[in-house]
Amino acid sequence: MRRVAIASMAQSSGGESRDSLMDFTFRVAKEALDKAGMTRDEVGCIMIGSSDIFHSGLSCSNSFDWDGTGAFLKEGSRAEESIFAFIYACMRIMSGQFDTVLVTSLVKGSENPDNDACTSFFADPFYLRPVGMNETTAAAMQMREYMWRYSITEEQCAKVVEKNLGNALYNPYAHIKKKVTIDDVLSSPTISDPLKVLECAPKSDGVVSVLLASEEKVGELTNRPVWLKGYGCSIDHFYPGDRDLLDGELKTAAAAAYKMAGITDPKKEIDVAEICEPYAFQELLWCEQLGLCGEGEGGTLIDSGVTRMNGTLPVNPSGGVLAMNPYVSRGLYRIVEAALQIRGRAGEHQVDKDVKTALAHGTQGFAGQCHSVVILEG
Amino acid sequence: MGKPVAIIGTGQTNHGRRRDVSYPELVREAVVAAFEDAGITPQDIDGVVSGTMPSMMEGISLTHFYFADALCQVGKPILKVETCGSTGQSLGHCGYYWVASGMGDIVLVVGHEKMHEGDSQATMTTVFDPFFQQTFAAGAPGIFTMQCMEWMYRFNIDEQKAREAAALVSVSNHDNAFDNPYAHIKIRVTVDDVKSAKVITYPVRLLDVCPNSDGACAVIFASEEKAKKICKKPAWIKGMGFRGEEFFFGESDKSVWPSATEAAKEAYNMAGIRDPLKELDVAEVYNPFTYQEMIFYECFGFCPRGEGPDYVLKGTFKKGGKLPCDPSGGTLCTNPIGATGLIRLAESVLQVTGKAGDRQVEGAKLALSHAMGGTDQFNGITIVSSEL
Repeated sequence: MRRVAIASMAQSSGGESRDSLMDFTFRVAKEALDKAGMTRDEVGCIMIGSSDIFHSGLSCSNSFDWDGTGAFLKEGSRAEESIFAFIYACMRIMSGQFDTVLVTSLVKGSENPDNDACTSFFADPFYLRPVGMNETTAAAMQMREYMWRYSITEEQCAKVVEKNLGNALYNPYAHIKKKVTIDDVLSSPTISDPLKVLECAPKSDGVVSVLLASEEKVGELTNRPVWLKGYGCSIDHFYPGDRDLLDGELKTAAAAAYKMAGITDPKKEIDVAEICEPYAFQELLWCEQLGLCGEGEGGTLIDSGVTRMNGTLPVNPSGGVLAMNPYVSRGLYRIVEAALQIRGRAGEHQVDKDVKTALAHGTQGFAGQCHSVVILEG
Repeated sequence: MGKPVAIIGTGQTNHGRRRDVSYPELVREAVVAAFEDAGITPQDIDGVVSGTMPSMMEGISLTHFYFADALCQVGKPILKVETCGSTGQSLGHCGYYWVASGMGDIVLVVGHEKMHEGDSQATMTTVFDPFFQQTFAAGAPGIFTMQCMEWMYRFNIDEQKAREAAALVSVSNHDNAFDNPYAHIKIRVTVDDVKSAKVITYPVRLLDVCPNSDGACAVIFASEEKAKKICKKPAWIKGMGFRGEEFFFGESDKSVWPSATEAAKEAYNMAGIRDPLKELDVAEVYNPFTYQEMIFYECFGFCPRGEGPDYVLKGTFKKGGKLPCDPSGGTLCTNPIGATGLIRLAESVLQVTGKAGDRQVEGAKLALSHAMGGTDQFNGITIVSSEL
């Protein structure tokens, strides 16, 4: 299999942008190309990660996105989610057909309705939508079950918010800048019992670009390539009632990614993880399923402090999705943050330890119906 | 062309107004048919690519969640790829790259749309931005009509001649649909019927326009090694091209249509085709509008610019002609949009593998399939061959 590396990256901040979406997109895509000293004409292929309904009320978002991402009269395509776009772009390079692909994922959350107005449209109109199913209500059920089955406490879940928003203070691109205590979290209003407002991700703007290159080409573009080492993805049953919400498909996705990357002991071999945690407790649950701690030990994991910025296995040093949630782009943001840590260029939120191998994770759907896991290496 | 990739099976639903099934059931019908055709089971699949036009057409977004069970692929990796009307071709391209990358040996590709559960023209109007274009765009026909007027004006095509040729295109597609058991619209029409049908947007009339259909299509891609093991007569991907142009309709020249022209050029280069009219045996051109089909002939190099109507009047593209186009009845008779481009690919596979039944073009070995999307903005092409 042909090796693929990240040659350059660019990201926007999560706050509301005054640019039109087309200008907003162009600026970030251009920055990624500039950093590699490349022009649009020289790129082999353009890949877009965007979504119709999360995108300012336009259908077929690739129609609007085409110009800003630099895809005019170039070979290209669009995936509905940013990690999908990333891996499809990698496949295009692995196939030998292209040497470079520019992947851009975009969403302007500030111009859209609330997240859950959008996620409720995942539900089928007959059974799930009438009962008010959306990502938040599904997550609330999952959290209740998680606390009940493994005696996880509300304080442990709240600690994730305190940690991640604390990390976000040092990430210039993060959307939410707020120092919060565990008490602040626990006393914030309940949004969908037992979930508190501060335990739920915001809705953010976010354009993020990654220039991918083949092994032969990447040397010309950067002296710090970050290599794709592993990928896994898995989708679960649609109806949450058909699933064990605490034993989902993340394990399958992680196992595939670890196998491809040759990782046998993720706890030891992963140096830093960027995990998609739109709801605070999910960071703990996903850590379990990623094998970063034992089953039911998510609570002890956060208590032990190993996932803090200065811990032995930092999780979400960027602040994660709780601090910045551009819905469609959030997976690729995790990849970019993981790659920045490997390069040692994350700035003030660079972790203290040496980072060789990093994990990036993305999820969408009710209670994590679909998961993607990406392993990167310096 | 990189690593060889084959198509080892296809499956289609009976397209039409499918009140008898739910949307997931419709998807399953195509998927099960593809498994049967390929002689494999859902367990053999390494990954699945799924897509619609925009998800919102039927009021459900990110439909891969809803269809996880219908696709028989719980526990497998999935990719959702969408590029508007050209989705079907983009899905196929993704299937190719997934296998060619070595990330999977057998990949299931599925396109679907249940258009009677939504309002397609309302959806298409929202492809345009809300500030400038949406205020005057009237769904798909408005855009395609502007294009055909521009084309006739640019190449000084006599309007009566173009009208006559477009009517012939309609008649031959409607006749062909009778040979296709999956086709939606099955009516016999005459040239006079087409010319006197109700005007939709002048000069386009009702019989120049495709229907709304419910339908799904599944295509199974495999590596060379697997294909040779599993399939007696696979079809091989020989060339692909996809191009898109500006979002704002007025910015590009739709009479010469750069995206269609460049996508074809790319695919021909990859497949080593120099004279498509001579070398191709059959083409499944995405033809939601009769006039547009003639513009495609020109962009794809089947005939010189401005001479599409003359070639149609000569019978070049009808059954038994030099290059039969849309022996399936095409998009004009069946249009479940997210599936339509993939149906074109599946039909071209059936042709080169000799499995096209009554619509078989005798001895077809090399076939082109195509889809168009957006505001006349995207074009995707795949060329398949019976030979590796």
